[in-house]
Amino acid sequence: MTALATLEQRFLEHVRGGESFPRTWCRQGLVDSDIGLSIYANAYHSRLREALEADHPVLSTYLGDELWATFCAGYTDDHPSRVRSLRHFGSRVPEWLARNPPFTAHPVIAELARFERALLDVFDAADAPRLDWAAMEQLDAQAWPSLRLRFHPSVRLLVLSTNAVEIWKALKDEVEPPAAAASAAPARLLWRDEERVTRFRPVVQAELAALTAGLVEARDFSGLCERLARDHPAESVPAMAIGFLRQWFDEGIICALAAEESASP
Amino acid sequence: MNHRAQSARMAAPEAPASGVRPWYGYGLGLRTEHFDAVLEERPAVDWFEIISENFMVAGGKPRHYLDSIRARYPLAMHGVSLSIGSTDPFDREYLRELRQLVRDVEPIWVSDHLCWTGNGGINSHDLLPLPYTEEAISHVVARIGEVQDFLGREILIENVSTYVSFADAEMEEAAFFAEIVRRSGCRILLDVNNIYVSSRNHGFDADVYVAALPAERIWQIHLAGHSDYGDYVIDTHDHPVRDEVWALYARTLERIGPVTTMIERDDNIPPLCELVEELDHARRIGAQTVSTPSLVVCA
Repeated sequence: MTALATLEQRFLEHVRGGESFPRTWCRQGLVDSDIGLSIYANAYHSRLREALEADHPVLSTYLGDELWATFCAGYTDDHPSRVRSLRHFGSRVPEWLARNPPFTAHPVIAELARFERALLDVFDAADAPRLDWAAMEQLDAQAWPSLRLRFHPSVRLLVLSTNAVEIWKALKDEVEPPAAAASAAPARLLWRDEERVTRFRPVVQAELAALTAGLVEARDFSGLCERLARDHPAESVPAMAIGFLRQWFDEGIICALAAEESASP
Repeated sequence: MNHRAQSARMAAPEAPASGVRPWYGYGLGLRTEHFDAVLEERPAVDWFEIISENFMVAGGKPRHYLDSIRARYPLAMHGVSLSIGSTDPFDREYLRELRQLVRDVEPIWVSDHLCWTGNGGINSHDLLPLPYTEEAISHVVARIGEVQDFLGREILIENVSTYVSFADAEMEEAAFFAEIVRRSGCRILLDVNNIYVSSRNHGFDADVYVAALPAERIWQIHLAGHSDYGDYVIDTHDHPVRDEVWALYARTLERIGPVTTMIERDDNIPPLCELVEELDHARRIGAQTVSTPSLVVCA
């Protein structure tokens, strides 16, 4: 290893908290080398903490100062940044919170983090044109069974077990949040509208099945109907499926249609 | 502004100076808080500088505002993640995204810092100091050449504020910087505040530092605020530019002539109009100090 590589390695170890940089490698100047090194170490930790706070403003409020500091220190130690933009530094926050005590005892915490990260993903997902219902009306009826919908790149489907979204909304509105509990409306659909405003809404069980088929599994319209038919009378399925499709078009979250033969793998 | 890069590996000992220092007037760092104000108020700012990494996203509001503001103002691209001094291999994906952004934005120029930001694959997201050694010069010159070749244009490299210097230094910072510029053919983004901060922390003469640099290569100046703790100074970008930095800016212009200038503010961000007023102070110093050329119009 070259002298430069060794210096960088030891310096970064020190900045991260290793206290390993030999003071004899520093030139003593007007600023004591201990102070100089501590300026870098403080900046490192505060910058990463600020990035996490910027991404998770509600989670940080919910945890309070002490738990938030515990989380930031633990996460930063376990997952030092390997990304070029701080935008992605916290990408493993939900997974970390779901694995590390004391946070594991409260699943709502990891789910709050999942929701906030989904909001970030929606915010700067790729742009794409949106189709309106007229595109469906122009289709030949025979094309419907093999039809696949391509959703807008900003669309995210979250299935949660707790009332994390209700807590998020209360804290966002600066009112007392409800106690953590199982969620009555466990699924949420999030997307960015044409005015670039982030939107989200609850998803009922039947629509969740349709979205699982059409969005998550990218199945065609007949596959989507088969999924609905598992829990609903066959005669009610076509109207139900068309109702969901119509709603998705109206919300502007469909950006392309593909028939079986031209569908992307 | 699409200069062909001068490869460090192919370069003669002295890279030829290509082109006269261009003049774009007075700019501001473009910050999220000001996106709407920039579009609605059309402030009297000649150009804006973007943080490149903030726009390396797929879409949404960041890219929407970028396109809208680019349609109205010239933009410079300023990066924080090139890590030109790191001994890690370049992040090729980062370079590809940077090149794509350059193609999208068509900036007046592209800059980053004379520092390293990570090692062993870990990114500190900070601008860390280099040792002023021949080894570091050779390393950085080769890397600047690689970037310039990849982007197909010369880049500007900026001096950073430092709080530590290393015992194995073989020269002072200004000589180190000047030699890298001379060998690589890159341009200089001179951060006058950073010179002041480092001069206080390390006890060198800021004017001597400026005088040691090749003036014709200084294409842009950064101004910013710092925090003075008495025994040391930290580059915080959360205050207006301080008087001592304005004074150094005026002396720098007297020495090297008119240079495209901008103000950076990254924290405690005030309303846009306050920064425009602060920029007017830079204009007044420029007008009093040197004869500024007519504004270059950039589509």
